[in-house]
Amino acid sequence: MMPSSTTPETARPTARPAGRTTYVSCATEVGDIFARVFRTLDDWRDQIAAAVPDRADLDILVESLVVPALLASADSPAADTPSAAESLLIGAGFIAAPQYVNGRDAHFAWWLGPLASNPLLGNTSGASRLDLATRVHTEYLRDFRELEWYAVPAATNQTHVTGPYVDQLCTCDYIITLTKPVRLGERMIGVVGADIYVKRLEQVLLPHFLALAGPVVLVNQSGRVVISTEPTLPAGDILPNRRHPADGYDLLPCPGTPFLIATRIALAAI
Amino acid sequence: MKAQLRPGAREAIFAQLIEAGRAEQVARRLTDAIILGLLTPGERLPSEQELARRFGVALITVREGLVILRDAGLVETRRGRGGGSFVIKADAPPGSLLQSRLRGLAQVELSDLAVYFSTIAEGCAERAALRASAVDAERLDAWLLHADFSTTARARTNAGGFYLELAVLSQSPRLVREQIRLQAEFGPLLLLGLGDPDTRAQVTGLNGRIALAITHGDGQAARTLVADQVRLLGEWLLTMKARIERGGRRDDAIVDDA
Repeated sequence: MMPSSTTPETARPTARPAGRTTYVSCATEVGDIFARVFRTLDDWRDQIAAAVPDRADLDILVESLVVPALLASADSPAADTPSAAESLLIGAGFIAAPQYVNGRDAHFAWWLGPLASNPLLGNTSGASRLDLATRVHTEYLRDFRELEWYAVPAATNQTHVTGPYVDQLCTCDYIITLTKPVRLGERMIGVVGADIYVKRLEQVLLPHFLALAGPVVLVNQSGRVVISTEPTLPAGDILPNRRHPADGYDLLPCPGTPFLIATRIALAAI
Repeated sequence: MKAQLRPGAREAIFAQLIEAGRAEQVARRLTDAIILGLLTPGERLPSEQELARRFGVALITVREGLVILRDAGLVETRRGRGGGSFVIKADAPPGSLLQSRLRGLAQVELSDLAVYFSTIAEGCAERAALRASAVDAERLDAWLLHADFSTTARARTNAGGFYLELAVLSQSPRLVREQIRLQAEFGPLLLLGLGDPDTRAQVTGLNGRIALAITHGDGQAARTLVADQVRLLGEWLLTMKARIERGGRRDDAIVDDA
C-alpha cells in the first residue's frame, strides 16, 4: 500500500505537559479541549444562522467554514497550539432539517478531512464531501433524525456530545460527535457539528494521563472508555464491569463536558 | 419490485472495490445486480468514466470488466449518441442468471463464505453483548421493533443492517469496516435465502433472541444464535447449488420479489 503523506498513521511523540499534572489538571485539560471545539461550533452556528435568509449559497458557506478546519487537522494532528481544537476534527458540517432544504430527507452539507485507507473513500488527500448516496450499507437506517447526534439536540435544544462510537456513516472509525442546534426564531433548522477522532484526542491527552502516578480512565456518562492508561480497561469497554466494580473508582467530572476522569480509589488517595 | 427499493439500494452496486482482480470484481458486482434485478433489462449502465470513479478503479479495469459481462451475454454496447452499455433482455428464464452465479462458485467456496461471514458476525455479536450499554441495547430493540422483514427486499436490507449494528455495538472500527466490505462483496449472494419464506421466517425469528442476549450481556448466547442464523443461510445456498447442479427446476422463491 502506498504510504499517505498527508495523514500520519503513527502517533507523534508529544512533549510532556508543563507544570504539575494532577487528576484535576487532566480534567481541566479535557474541558479546555472541548470548550475550544464548542467555540468553533458557536462561530459556525452564528454564521450559518445569519446566512439563512439567502438559502442558495448555504453549502458553499458551510464548505468555506469547515474545510479549512479539517485541513488544519491533517497538518498538525497533535500540536498543542491555539489551533489544537481544529486539529482534532475529522469531519464537520451542517445537517439541515428535512423541511428546511428541499427534499424528504435531511440535507447533509458535511465534509471529511483527509483519510487513509477508508473502506468507502480509499485514500483521500483533501477534504471530501459526504455523499450519502454512496453509503448504501446505511440504507437500513430509516431516518437520520432518529440518530442520537440529531435527535437529542432537536429534543433538548442543547449542545450534545455523542460517543465515543464507531461511525458507520462517514469515517468508519472511532469518533466523538459534537452537535449544536441551529435555530431560526423558534424553529430548529438543523444541527452544526464536528467529529473528533478518538485517536487524535488520545495523542493530545495521553502525555497528561501518563504523567500521573496511577492509571486513569476517561469515560463518558455511560461509562464508555475513551482513553485509558489502565490496560485492562481499553477504549470501548464499559466501566464498571466484572473486573472493575464501580466502588473501586472515583469519578471527577471534566468541566463543561459529559466526560469523567475515573481513578482507582486506593491510588487517588495517595 | 422497483417500488420496494429505496434509491440507495442501486448505489451499493457501485460502491468502491478493494484489492486485486478488480476487473473480475467489477464484473461480479454488476452480474449480481443484474441477477437480483437491481439493474433491469434495457437499462443503460453509467458511463465507463462514471463507473471508474464510483468503483475507484482505472478506466481500463472497467472496460475489462464490461468485456467479461459482454462475453457472458449480460450487456451489450451500442455506439454513437445515446450509446453505452445496456443490460440485455434475457431470453432465458429469470432464474438462469442465478443458476450461472451459483454454478460459478464451488460448494467449497460457498461453505467457506458462510464460515468466514459467520466468524466475523459471531465475533461482533459476542463483543456487542459484552460492551453494549443499557441505552445501546434499548436502541437496538427499538430499531428491530420497527424493522420490516416481511418482504424479500426489506428483509435483505434490514438483515444487512442488523449485522452492521452488531458490528457497531462491538465498538470495533475494524469489524465495522470488514462487515461493510463483506456485505458489498457477498451480501446479495449470502442473503439470497431470505427470498424463501420459510428460511426468512427462521432467520428473522432469531433477531429478537440475539437482541435479548445482548441486553443480558450474554456473549456466548449471542454468538451461538448468530451462528445458527448464518448456518441457515449457508445451508440454503448449498441446497440450491445441489438442486441446480442436478439440473432440477430452479426454486421460484429465489427471485420472488427480489
